[in-house]
Amino acid sequence: MLTKKGKYGLKALVHLARLPAGQLAFVNDIATGNNIPKKFLDAILGELRNAGFVQSRKGKDGGYRLARPADEIKVGHVVRVLDGPLAPIPCASRTQYQRCEDCNEATCQVRHLMLEVRQAIAEVLDQRSLAEMRDMATDDLPVAIKVQA
Amino acid sequence: MTGRANSIIIVGGGASGVVLAAHLLKSSNPDLRITLIEKRPHFGQGIAYSTLLSAHVLNVSAAGMSAYADDPANFWRWLLERGLASQDQAPVYAPRSVYARYLGELLDDLETREQQTGRLRLIREESLSITPTASGVEVALANGTSVVAHLAVLATGHDEEPAQGHAVRMGSEADTALDPDRSVMVLGTGLSMVDAFLALEQRGHRGDIIAVSRRGLLPSPHRKGNPIKLDVADIPLGTQLSYFVGWFRDLIKENQKAGIDWRDVVDGLRPFNQKIWQNWPASAKRRFVEHTKAWWDIHRHRMAPEVYARVTEAVQSGRIRLVAGRVVDIAKGGEFTIQVQSRHTQRLETFEVARIYDCSGIVRDISTSSNSVVRSLVDRGLARPDPLRIGLDVSAKCEIIAGDGTVSAKILAVGPLTRGTFFEIDAIPDIRVQCARLSKQLLG
Repeated sequence: MLTKKGKYGLKALVHLARLPAGQLAFVNDIATGNNIPKKFLDAILGELRNAGFVQSRKGKDGGYRLARPADEIKVGHVVRVLDGPLAPIPCASRTQYQRCEDCNEATCQVRHLMLEVRQAIAEVLDQRSLAEMRDMATDDLPVAIKVQA
Repeated sequence: MTGRANSIIIVGGGASGVVLAAHLLKSSNPDLRITLIEKRPHFGQGIAYSTLLSAHVLNVSAAGMSAYADDPANFWRWLLERGLASQDQAPVYAPRSVYARYLGELLDDLETREQQTGRLRLIREESLSITPTASGVEVALANGTSVVAHLAVLATGHDEEPAQGHAVRMGSEADTALDPDRSVMVLGTGLSMVDAFLALEQRGHRGDIIAVSRRGLLPSPHRKGNPIKLDVADIPLGTQLSYFVGWFRDLIKENQKAGIDWRDVVDGLRPFNQKIWQNWPASAKRRFVEHTKAWWDIHRHRMAPEVYARVTEAVQSGRIRLVAGRVVDIAKGGEFTIQVQSRHTQRLETFEVARIYDCSGIVRDISTSSNSVVRSLVDRGLARPDPLRIGLDVSAKCEIIAGDGTVSAKILAVGPLTRGTFFEIDAIPDIRVQCARLSKQLLG
């Protein structure tokens, strides 16, 4: 499940990936440009900095930028840091396992299938870089228009 | 296209070369031609399994040492069939000489089987160089002849570089007879030091052993357990090193709270080690090699419990002294006077020893390799060291990368040479997986 936190984090990173290499972005600009509550964004960017995806500079000219080229950061890397283990439902995780109140995990077929689904999620998200995600939006636009037409 | 390559030369007939040949020969392709070249008289030994000492046992239990990725019990069955192990007696840490025999017999069987087909050819000779030609590769041999094929795979294993300075390698020609009561110094405190200690014991050496490394850490013992189950979806990839280490420490702590041994957590991560390594940014890889690897190694690369018991007893009795520090000066008189600066107190301590053994590890700058094939590839710009200079730069498909960044379709590598890309690729459980994958890639 991608939480709001994960979604906002990815949007913020795509925002940074659009900038020329090395250029810093103000938190306020990222927040307003992507409809993200500023305080929440501060916390998210802090976590992304701890994990080594963004760098920050303090002061008047301060802000955030990507710590590495956008094609080196994979979407799956980011989602695990912000949302924890990739999992379609909370019980489908090995390290952050959360028991469902209403079923027995050993015999639950839903959980077994969802454990398989998470492998598929990892496969997709670990192949796609921030750069690909950034370029994807514009690529898909004509298709979306065609579908509507 | 490598898909049409029927003739393959494997340069190096040690463990990784034999394991690769075995996997390639599983193909039913009648036109396949494998040439395995080894300079030692025996195939399947290399440096790793050439020791004859019975105390030099495998550092991985027999259950993990099959040559075949898809038949993990192959070595275990081989031991059982020969009465070298019994069903109820797991885990077994077999002598490395027994493992060399296993690989030797495995190759003998393949040779017999392929006699009619002509698909396997063994050459006992030193390889000097590999040169790409219009139609494939040419491997020049020390006897003046050469062999050609569509492609070549380097499987030259660990470097045999002579020891540095005054230090000698255990068991080498320079390791002459020694007064058994004199102290010796061992550079390194890892598994090679343990091998040196066992060899000295076997020879009846009684003098003290001073083992020096930067941190003075001794590897841990194995314990029977069950690796925890992890999925790639659970593991943070591509972060900086401190974030990953924090995650891993927490994971161990949580498991320990549930009564699970740390080894089961370390071993549970193993299937993902290459993926973790490959997703790290260059800075994390560099930091890991510089700061974290020594700690990782003593937890990840462990020894048989019986060996550990002997070593710790020797440490407790003062027979082995572990010193965390660095050698700052060596003066040679009749013996060696060595000054070591302590890591913790910075104080200098002086040792008088009759010999210095180099057990400081097997990772060397590849461009100064003692292997002429590897060195000549680097010298001619056909290959280059990986960014950390711990092996050759290869693609995720094992293809050698040239000095100008071109990926070679004709020269590939497996085993320890590829550690810059594949991280832990020194042990059979990892090498056999790499060989299985490469066979599939080359022959479909």
